[in-house]
Amino acid sequence: MSNEMANLPVESKNTEVVELHGDNTEQFVTFYFGQHFFGLPIDDVIEINKALDITPVPLAPAYVAGVVNLRGQILTAVHLAQKVGLHVPLTAENRDEDLEQNEESSKKYNNVIMGSREEPVSLLVERIGDVMSVPRNKIEPPPAIIEGVDAKYVSKVCKLDGELLIILDPVAMERPENSNERQA
Amino acid sequence: MGSMEDDILKDFLAESKENLELLDQQFVELEQEPDNEDLIKSIFRTIHTIKGTSGFFGFTTLEGIAHFAEDILSKLRDGVVPVDEEITTILLQSVDYIKAILGSLEASGKEPDDVEYLDFIVELRNFSEQIVKKGGGDSEDSGREASEASDGSAAEETKEPSASAQEEAEDKSEEKSEDDKQAQEKGSEKAEESSETVAKEKQQTEKSSEKGKKKTAPPKPRKAAAPPAGAHQLTETHVRIDVHLLDQLMTLAGELVLSRNRLTQITNNLNNPELSNANQHMSLVVTELQEQIMKTRMQPIGNVFNKFPRIVRDLARTAEKQVQLRIEGAETELDRSIIESIKDPLTHMVRNSIDHGIEASDIRLQHDKPAVGTLVMRAYHEGGQVIIEIADDGAGIDPEKLKKKALDKELITEEQAETMSDREALMLIFLPGFSTAEKVTNISGRGVGMDVVKTNIEKLGGTVELQSKLGKGTTVKIKIPLTLAIIPALIVHSAGQRYAIPQVNLVELVHLSREAVENDVQVIGESEFYRLRGEILPLIRLRKVLGVPVSEENNESMNIVVLNAGDRPFGLVVDAISDSEEIVVKPLGNHLKHIPAFAGTTLMGDGRVALIIDITGITASMRMKGDDAMKHASVVAGTGVDEERQFLLLCSIAPDEFFALPLALVNRLDKIPASDLEFVGGKEVVQYRGHSMPVIRLENYLPISPLPEQDEYHLIVFNMNNKDVAFLVSKIEDSLDIAIDVEEHTFKQDGILGSAIIKDRTTLFMDVYQIIEMHDPEFFDKPDLEEIGSARILLAEDSAFYRNLLASYLTAAGYDVITCEDGAQAWDTLQADDFDLVITDIEMPAMDGFELAKKIRADSRLKDMPIIAVTSLSGEQDKRRGMEVGFNEYQPKLDRDEVLSAVTSLLHPEKAVDMAA
Repeated sequence: MSNEMANLPVESKNTEVVELHGDNTEQFVTFYFGQHFFGLPIDDVIEINKALDITPVPLAPAYVAGVVNLRGQILTAVHLAQKVGLHVPLTAENRDEDLEQNEESSKKYNNVIMGSREEPVSLLVERIGDVMSVPRNKIEPPPAIIEGVDAKYVSKVCKLDGELLIILDPVAMERPENSNERQA
Repeated sequence: MGSMEDDILKDFLAESKENLELLDQQFVELEQEPDNEDLIKSIFRTIHTIKGTSGFFGFTTLEGIAHFAEDILSKLRDGVVPVDEEITTILLQSVDYIKAILGSLEASGKEPDDVEYLDFIVELRNFSEQIVKKGGGDSEDSGREASEASDGSAAEETKEPSASAQEEAEDKSEEKSEDDKQAQEKGSEKAEESSETVAKEKQQTEKSSEKGKKKTAPPKPRKAAAPPAGAHQLTETHVRIDVHLLDQLMTLAGELVLSRNRLTQITNNLNNPELSNANQHMSLVVTELQEQIMKTRMQPIGNVFNKFPRIVRDLARTAEKQVQLRIEGAETELDRSIIESIKDPLTHMVRNSIDHGIEASDIRLQHDKPAVGTLVMRAYHEGGQVIIEIADDGAGIDPEKLKKKALDKELITEEQAETMSDREALMLIFLPGFSTAEKVTNISGRGVGMDVVKTNIEKLGGTVELQSKLGKGTTVKIKIPLTLAIIPALIVHSAGQRYAIPQVNLVELVHLSREAVENDVQVIGESEFYRLRGEILPLIRLRKVLGVPVSEENNESMNIVVLNAGDRPFGLVVDAISDSEEIVVKPLGNHLKHIPAFAGTTLMGDGRVALIIDITGITASMRMKGDDAMKHASVVAGTGVDEERQFLLLCSIAPDEFFALPLALVNRLDKIPASDLEFVGGKEVVQYRGHSMPVIRLENYLPISPLPEQDEYHLIVFNMNNKDVAFLVSKIEDSLDIAIDVEEHTFKQDGILGSAIIKDRTTLFMDVYQIIEMHDPEFFDKPDLEEIGSARILLAEDSAFYRNLLASYLTAAGYDVITCEDGAQAWDTLQADDFDLVITDIEMPAMDGFELAKKIRADSRLKDMPIIAVTSLSGEQDKRRGMEVGFNEYQPKLDRDEVLSAVTSLLHPEKAVDMAA
């Protein structure tokens, strides 16, 4: 696992985060979408892959961006922002996206391939962060409301220097849902 | 039958070999735990099977050895004697002999004829007798019985034929193949040695058995005799492979196919002859490889069929009926995964046949049927698909009963029941929650069943059809693809994406030029139709199905993929059509598999993913969305195209007065502003496509309320006799696909064929030909009857609508027309009167058109009578059959011009030639 991670393109912006080792830490793969900073437990991530071609699937739930080909295996690509109901503050880049929905597929996302359960899923994120070791005592239950993020996808949070690491619940993230429910 | 026996023999050898390997191991285990009953039972079963099968084939030596070995084992099993080394040894020896015999059977197809085998039988028999005696103290009766049985039956049987085999030995040995000879030569020295030992042993045994008789002492332990060395070794021709391994191989082969496709694409771009050659060669190998791997997954359907004799027997017993099962095509091969999934559906259908189909013997006899009902299970290949039929000669299904049942269960409405054809009614049994059993039995009739059968078959990409003749029987026909893993598919484009359409559903491709789109594609409400060779083909736009915007340029050319998924065919309109390709089906993930429009995904040559379109899913989902085209086209899923079904166009002139006419007659529909109507020479015309077209106001010819003043009118344009003419109506209401059942008396008058209740409203059927003729008597060319003379035509047609329509235009053309409602009536009329020509429908009650034609051709007086068959649709197969029974012509009912010219040319062949010239 960690070997694979070592080879991957990782942005090293958060070097100031104290990396502790030992039993009292948990490791997370972190990534960004808009201004939000997310993490997934490292055991739930299979690999990280740069921009795979996404084939859109008409009639699919809104949070599904399409399907991707990962070395012959076809995975569902879940759009992180859509899935967690993220209202991404509109940067110039994002606004373009909204205007040209059809161009969505051509926008280059990074793929976090997650899933130790039945079926791996590719989670589309904007930027990949570090693999972070976080001391257990800094991990807290999530607050009742995190702005822009549906609470049911959040398992824990972790306050880091000025930034809130939102730790996603991998099971909830992988669970298929009724498209109507999502859109409502 | 020879090949079947060969097959059984092969299976038997393969199975026995495996079991024997197991036996070696089990015997050793047995020595360690002599009290293990399960182990003894298992060994007993194996030997017993060998005995039974060898008896079946008449392998007497083998049977003998197995018999005595079984004898000994039965003693062990019953606990009469304990397992000891001696017994184990002789049993192991038996196993060795059995192996040797099997080896010989495999190599030469017959048992070895060396004496030593017979000697061994004797030895084995003596041993078994001793055991019996030894155990006699404990259970004398059973022991004696067993020994008597062995003495009396098997031993004698074994000896005699074996002896004769021995006599033949010399002759036959010469016939042995080269290989065998070599093997024998090699082994001959050893064989001599071993036969010596065997001989010695035999003496020993005899001695010891004598002793044994006196003292009831066990024979001395001996060295295990070597199996006859000259015997054939068992060669492995079958290997058991883990199914997972096969699946994996299949997946890999799939990947290889994809890589190949990719490489081919690149090669084509590079245009390097050497690379092309190499790639072509690789391509061939890959294809071959894929086929071979596919074959490893193929299994004969017999693997499922062979479970049925038993099932049928049990079911027939429970139902107290007599049923004979006939299996045909058991060797037909199918993908393993499919074989597994069709067993339950088949079982269910067989149950249905026995429970509902085949009658009890006394009832069958009353109906002049043999007391024993016949159930046929038949499998065969047809066009890359496997067809499985389950046919019974039972009571058949009464469509009226089905309708009533469906009404009671509120599965259909009164109205639907009325307009429903028999074939549609039959399809009702596939509706969820439908059960025809009047009393619910424990066999079937639980209300779940046929719908599940249908769903399961459709999941496999197959279709189910049902045919039934009341009193004659029922046939269920299942079509399924050979394999599910790699399928040929057509790649199409829609909104910039590629989609794969399984070739199984593909009927043909149609490209319409811009002009053809304008002329031949009709838009009624939201739905589009295309007239394909006279048949109405509903169109569905793939973009619409997928929820992407339909392209603005409606006037562009059109690519239509004509598809058939058990329903009526329909056309899928796509942006572009590419090649067909072999694709590897990969399932959709959990998040997406609920979308009915897609059956899966596949990888294209360039590594991108394409979605596979599920045709049944599309039709189903369009139906749910209430899409008009599909609503009209679907009716009841699975119906074939019914002969008497028609697409009708419904329109109104004054509000609340509804009219219907066959859509097939209509050339186009259009709208014109009222200001475009002109009066020229007392007739109303409109400038249409560069010429004046006469416009007919129906109230001038029919006793109906006049057309209200409107800003805009609808035109129903006909093109007949190469001229355009249009009806002016106020509104196009709908189009509908129904079986026409016209009530002809209430409104019978010129220009009206009859009436029917459609959508709760009384609707009049227009006689388009007659109305046009009333408007312009010169519109149609008429045969010059003065010159050629009139003729008497007998018209047999069961549908009142068509009967009136045909009679109307034939009479108008100057012929004397006598009508009959079915073939039988027509036949009687023909006997009583003279006619010049017969026009007959195909599908009729009492006597159908084929039957009628046959009778006419067989009659000395009538055999030269010209016969025209008319049909609302022309299936090629019917056509061919029609020509065989002696129809002169085969014409669509609605095409007046064609029918009339056929009549003229048949009545006056010389005139037709003139006209052609």
